Amino acid sequence: MGAYLEQSLGWQNGFIFVLSAVILLAIVLGFVTYSIYFQRKILGWMQLRIGPNRVGPFGLLQTVADVLKLLLKEDIIPKAADKPLFILAPVLAFMPAFAVLAVMPFTESLHFADLGVGLLYYIAISGITVLGVVTGGWASNNKWALIGAMRSAAQMISYEIPLVLSVVGVILMTGSLNLIDIVEKQKEMGMWFFIPQFLGFVIFIIAQLAELSRTPFDLTEAESELISGYHVEYSGFRWAFFMLAEYVYIFAMASLTTVLFLGGWLPPFEFLGFIPGIVWFAIKFCAIVFFIFWLQATFPRMRVDQLMQMGWKVLLPLALVNILITAVLKTVL
Amino acid sequence: MSGEFIAFFVLALLTIGGAVFMISFTRVVHMVVALAFTFLGIAGLYVLLEAEFVGVTQVLVYSGAISILMLFGIMLTRHDATEVTERKGPFKYIAFAGIAVFFIVAFLGIQSAHWGDQQADFTKQNNVKEIGIQLFTHYVIPFEAVSVLLLVALVGAIILAKKEAEDE
Repeated sequence: MGAYLEQSLGWQNGFIFVLSAVILLAIVLGFVTYSIYFQRKILGWMQLRIGPNRVGPFGLLQTVADVLKLLLKEDIIPKAADKPLFILAPVLAFMPAFAVLAVMPFTESLHFADLGVGLLYYIAISGITVLGVVTGGWASNNKWALIGAMRSAAQMISYEIPLVLSVVGVILMTGSLNLIDIVEKQKEMGMWFFIPQFLGFVIFIIAQLAELSRTPFDLTEAESELISGYHVEYSGFRWAFFMLAEYVYIFAMASLTTVLFLGGWLPPFEFLGFIPGIVWFAIKFCAIVFFIFWLQATFPRMRVDQLMQMGWKVLLPLALVNILITAVLKTVL
Repeated sequence: MSGEFIAFFVLALLTIGGAVFMISFTRVVHMVVALAFTFLGIAGLYVLLEAEFVGVTQVLVYSGAISILMLFGIMLTRHDATEVTERKGPFKYIAFAGIAVFFIVAFLGIQSAHWGDQQADFTKQNNVKEIGIQLFTHYVIPFEAVSVLLLVALVGAIILAKKEAEDE
């Protein structure tokens, strides 16, 4: 892909760009469809239920049917809502979720833009989603939606700070913000970053769960007690877009964790190097996705005040300590 | 027609369009959203100029943080807040004259600016690294001064907020 970006833009190259983006979108949509299926199955098994098993063999077409239902639903826009912003909000929320995948290296050769500031790009672009969430909550003209949006934005902004600071250790050790360089450095060191950066890894995992609004930080939705969050007035395909953004972020975050801390496409041992890198990437990626769903089945939800205290009083100082230790070790060693 | 030209055209349209809509909208929240698009367009222009670090920082700070901060501030006030301060009379003409003078000055300034004969070549350098080296060698004192300034602002904000909470 990198070679194509160097060439001048013609019809042929433009076609390749569009085609590859469409293929990635198709893969991501496929992932979203089946991650929802697996989520429901895993949650079902962990709670001694069967999970979806009616539509298609083993219930494999359940999500497809659900999505079809959402697309065929009547498009409802509340009368008192702010119409243009109500329509714009799901787009604003979803667009960055897909745009961040542009810098994700899946293997050495399979990646889109090889950006010098890849990691920073991811963090910057993912921040725009908050704008979509807040806009959607406000445009609904519903006080519960507004409160939900405020909650959601407060949580996402609070946890973005420890998230960014926890990866500074990785950046310090690599000396680069480029995601490919980060994986190459792990190859060079012979160990993945979750060992030397264990504290950073733990902070990153916790902060990313909060960023994704997954259990134990899913109180922006809290299906069982609140009337959903900022998207309470949304239905049909607009609501589906918010959900899609959420699951595409799971895809992006799991990829980012794999690249930053679990060695990306590198095999765990040298003698296993004959297995192609994309397989290793997929295995690590799936493990993280499973981990996220696993927590959902086993963890209770946090309270709002605990959530904020955890972010600002625990994770942020720990992340700063992690940076300090890494910087000292880097200068001493 | 190169890809760069098309990208510049789209980004310039986004930037100017966002700014124009920001002025012409009547609802404050719409204005902020339009402004966010302007910020994004500017970030794209930075990337076109090979300054991807500045571009990404622009997105992080302006499109992300500042826009959301403004939205927060506005949303917690009235929902249907609209600007209806259509002033009549000589004020309009004075403002127009001021804008015209500003345009002439800026236009002449840009026209007479001397950019140097050689174009700087940034294409092969590591942007972030160069900025870091410059910042922590040549400009380390201004950098530290700015960080102290920000810290003072932070402490000041906390004191102000605390005072208000005590008053209640």
